[in-house]
Amino acid sequence: MMKAGPLELGDAPKSSTPKSGVNRGVSILDFILRLIAIMATLGSAIAMGTTNETLPFFTQFIRFRARYNDFPTFTFFVVANSVVCAYLVLSLALSIFHIMRSAAQGTRVVLILLDTAMLALLTAGASAAAAIVYLAHKGNTRVNWFSICQQFNSFCERISGALIGSFGGIMLFILLILLSAVALSRR
Amino acid sequence: MDATKKSDETTIPIRESKSGKSNYAPTIVATTKATVEAKGGWKRGVAIFDFILRLCAIAAALAATTTMGTTEQTLPFFTQFFQFQASYDDLPTFSFFVIANAIASGYLVLSLPFSIVGIVRPHVVGVRLLLLICDIVMVALTTAAASAATAIVYLAHNGNTNTNWPAICQQFNDFCQSVSGAVVASLIAAAIFMFLVLLSAIALKRN
Repeated sequence: MMKAGPLELGDAPKSSTPKSGVNRGVSILDFILRLIAIMATLGSAIAMGTTNETLPFFTQFIRFRARYNDFPTFTFFVVANSVVCAYLVLSLALSIFHIMRSAAQGTRVVLILLDTAMLALLTAGASAAAAIVYLAHKGNTRVNWFSICQQFNSFCERISGALIGSFGGIMLFILLILLSAVALSRR
Repeated sequence: MDATKKSDETTIPIRESKSGKSNYAPTIVATTKATVEAKGGWKRGVAIFDFILRLCAIAAALAATTTMGTTEQTLPFFTQFFQFQASYDDLPTFSFFVIANAIASGYLVLSLPFSIVGIVRPHVVGVRLLLLICDIVMVALTTAAASAATAIVYLAHNGNTNTNWPAICQQFNDFCQSVSGAVVASLIAAAIFMFLVLLSAIALKRN
């Protein structure tokens, strides 16, 4: 065997490298996290979209029924969660493609771009709804906005619970983008 | 074996050894230490664009923070029961907005050296990955602050008749205008963050 500086005689290995094995594991984890995120965002959209509470008394001037579309912010929340859920279902196909071909780069960049856009949409919907939910719980005496949760108990509980799934979806999206970036950067 | 070199190519003629039977085909593993400057050209351009965008995002996030943090309006009349002074800390959402944008501005200033390292050494993967991870978290934080403030500003402009929440913008005009301007600046910063994530992802590609 001759060694001259950086040159060596050697064997070319025939088995697949460990690098592609880790990439495949990352892609499988990506697929599983997408499934969990689908359930989280779908649950949030349904929980917010089916709110309807009517108090058993009424007067001539004041409304005693609360639904999600009394608040434009909650309508945006339902729409955003539905759009993100539909996107996740469609992106499962791309995720499966990444499991089969772990060395793909261009499609991973496209997936990162779309995931970032959906992360922004989901965060916008969730945090706008969170601001309104906070206002519904606490009110604001300085601007004469009264808290409505003291009257509409189950409505308030439902809208607060719908936020949980959405924020869980945000965490999952951050993990998804991270996984795609790690799979992209492994050389 | 002779080696002839021209520019960045090395040609090595190999003589087959006829004596002795070998079970494997001889495979030459050649490594060179020459850095390939021409291939890193587009990555360096992406890194420079990333740096410039960071400077713009610093301007946007700082503008949002200061505009929201210095809003205060006092109406020139008063009654016994109603408050006629509005400042940003009357609404906890706006306090969160100021804090989140301050964090985003501070992070951007601290990430400028890492961006410069990415310009000087375009092939280092760790810096790009670190910037991408932190940028994703900042996208989420900035978008959350901007959209929560947008919900409150929308409510201030339009009110809500179903819950008897009056629109306060008809009285507090200047307050509403400066708050709306701060929200727009924060949304611009969030959009720039998203673009920075895309640039880092493109720069992470192998070729």
